[in-house]
Amino acid sequence: MTQRVLVAMSGGVDSSVAAAMLVEQGYDVVGATMKLFCHGDDLPDRPCCSLDSVNDARRVCQTLGVPHYVLNLESAFGHDVVDNFVNEYANGRTPIPCVQCNTFTKFRDLLVKADAIDATWIATGHYARVVNGELNRGLDHNKDQSYFLWGINRRVLSRMLLPVGSQTKAETRAVAHRLGLEVIAEKQESQDICFVPDGDHTKIIRQRLGADAPSLSQGPFVLSDGTPAGTHEGFARYTIGQRRGLPGGFRVPMFVVDIRPKDRAVVIGPREELLGRGIVARSMNWLVDAPTVGAHVGIQVRHRASPARAEIVRLDGDEIELALDEPVSAITPGQSLVMYDGERVLGGGLIERGRRVGLPVLAA
Amino acid sequence: MPDPIYLDHAATTPVRPEVLEAMMPFYGPRFGNPSSVHRWGREARTALDEARERLGRCLGATPDEICFTSGGTEADNIAILGAWRARRDEGRTAVVTTPIEHKAVLASVHEAAREGAEERLCAMTNAGVVDLESYQSLVRSDTAIATVMWINNEIGTIQPIAELVQIAKSVGALFHTDAVQAFGKVDVDARTIPFDVLSISGHKIGAPKGIGAVYIRRGTVVAPLFFGGEQDRGRRPGTENVAAAVGLARAAELAVAEREQHWDRLEQLRDRLEQSILAKVPDAVIHGRDARERAPHIVNVSVPGTDSESMLMALDLRGIGCSAGSACQSGSITPSHVLSAIGVSPELASSAIRMSIGSLTTDACIDRVADVFPALVNKARGMGAAVPAHAS
Repeated sequence: MTQRVLVAMSGGVDSSVAAAMLVEQGYDVVGATMKLFCHGDDLPDRPCCSLDSVNDARRVCQTLGVPHYVLNLESAFGHDVVDNFVNEYANGRTPIPCVQCNTFTKFRDLLVKADAIDATWIATGHYARVVNGELNRGLDHNKDQSYFLWGINRRVLSRMLLPVGSQTKAETRAVAHRLGLEVIAEKQESQDICFVPDGDHTKIIRQRLGADAPSLSQGPFVLSDGTPAGTHEGFARYTIGQRRGLPGGFRVPMFVVDIRPKDRAVVIGPREELLGRGIVARSMNWLVDAPTVGAHVGIQVRHRASPARAEIVRLDGDEIELALDEPVSAITPGQSLVMYDGERVLGGGLIERGRRVGLPVLAA
Repeated sequence: MPDPIYLDHAATTPVRPEVLEAMMPFYGPRFGNPSSVHRWGREARTALDEARERLGRCLGATPDEICFTSGGTEADNIAILGAWRARRDEGRTAVVTTPIEHKAVLASVHEAAREGAEERLCAMTNAGVVDLESYQSLVRSDTAIATVMWINNEIGTIQPIAELVQIAKSVGALFHTDAVQAFGKVDVDARTIPFDVLSISGHKIGAPKGIGAVYIRRGTVVAPLFFGGEQDRGRRPGTENVAAAVGLARAAELAVAEREQHWDRLEQLRDRLEQSILAKVPDAVIHGRDARERAPHIVNVSVPGTDSESMLMALDLRGIGCSAGSACQSGSITPSHVLSAIGVSPELASSAIRMSIGSLTTDACIDRVADVFPALVNKARGMGAAVPAHAS
């Protein structure tokens, strides 16, 4: 009997091609588009919750001759992803909502729907691979999205299909053309966070926490020795390593090196103050058997950062501390620490702070 | 897969062969415009006049009281906005309705409110029926129109239309009822119940989509929504959809002729469906079952621990078509405003499934649904596989 797969379809080229490839491979494909948020009146010409994406996904499914459903996961997504996003910024951190969405929405809540329809498999358009029950980087390292997938439950790996993870984006587009999916074949990639359509993430913070939220209110710029250096319009507008929006008049380029929500301070400093030699992360999740203290691993602290090497120096329940072989720039609280062994994803966690060896903890 | 089972007759029904046959000449040789003076026009006009008469007879109405529309939504809009706009200058500024109405009614009432009307919503009993005391206290001498649906499309409860009409009349308010689900099920007769305005829809009774009618009692002034030619006394300008009007008249005649027999058949099927579901899923809750009068074709069931979306998908993938709540434009399901209005908890409402039976339903269909439904309930309840994500 053919095996059923529930494909999460955003209306974009990757998940559309994923669905098409699975149809070709003989799976019983069921397409689903998750309705995750409603823009309401923000987008006057888009009356209902990213309707165009839903329409594109539906058209693709019609072309493929498979059923398509729209699943309303708005309330869970609002809690697990949007609230978390807002709270992280309010705490001076820089969240990655896609990680939360993969962890809680796509590979947990959607899986419940898959169970209800007897789907053995769940598929997405991620550029990553599952090899022998282990998560691997996408074959095309330029597109690799494994960094965003560290949080999923390890047991889900055995039910995941990631058909485009073994090809390049160009190959994905070629498949789209070959299979006649002209609707989406040349669709532009969205760089935005899906619930922040215009790229201004402070809007949603304002909506949820009010315009007078501390993270959106004036605060001081300071140097790391405490010298005042001006005033900013809210620390939620800043992230570690940022140059834009900083006061001028320094002899060297200045960067955000720390955010201190308690006194609303944005700490700025020269490039070398961005360097960290240690990382503390929590909410650890392992996709293989957890390594032990003393193990050397590859690490990545940001999407598209070049991999670095580190040694695990402490493992404490869901908290981990690593010593980096070479300093890494802009270790940012709220971003993900993902550990690799070559192509294999070992696990990951949320960065709590970076450590500059011999100096006080940066982001205590 | 065995033959698919359509359990969504409250959403729409197939066009009956007799209806299609009656319509065909008007897509062929009798294509004329009923407003034209020549023989082609006369032929079309004859058919339209006859359709109006025949539909009128089905409703206990005279032909001039029938206005063809594009469907139930337009009929509701004409009734509510037309009545409100015609009466607001008399100082009648309130519009009374219930929270369980179809969106076509609720949105029309909201539109009237946007234009200055005072919107009043009656309380509902937990059984899904209008609270008469609440209704009586809201329908007053300042009320332009009271509008209450005859049969609720989600839970099938029948509202006490005769009493509601009397209360409205006693204070000089117009009374409108959305009878889209009721026509063909209950006896809808303008001679026995003095409602002022009433909406029906073709595709719920075997006529095509895109045709409906609004009954407007003689002497009732309703402002038009459209502006154009003089068709239908200016109440509904635009060249009439002759073929569809003929189809609606034919479908209405059949529905009226078969009504009692049809009711008995549907009621038996419904009871059989409900009993088998309750026998196998004892904690299932059937909404609107406590109403004194219920429609024979609607079963709205919630199973705790399941969710509507999963159940609808799972049923569909097993060839069984049902519905849930109301779908937004994207097709995603939002919790039913009807269930929340009658005091159903959000958890229970989020698992509601509507099965509506009709001409395509047989005993064998019911038996298979009774077989498949409990199995799907177990899966949707997560008896098996759900994997929790790691705690964050």
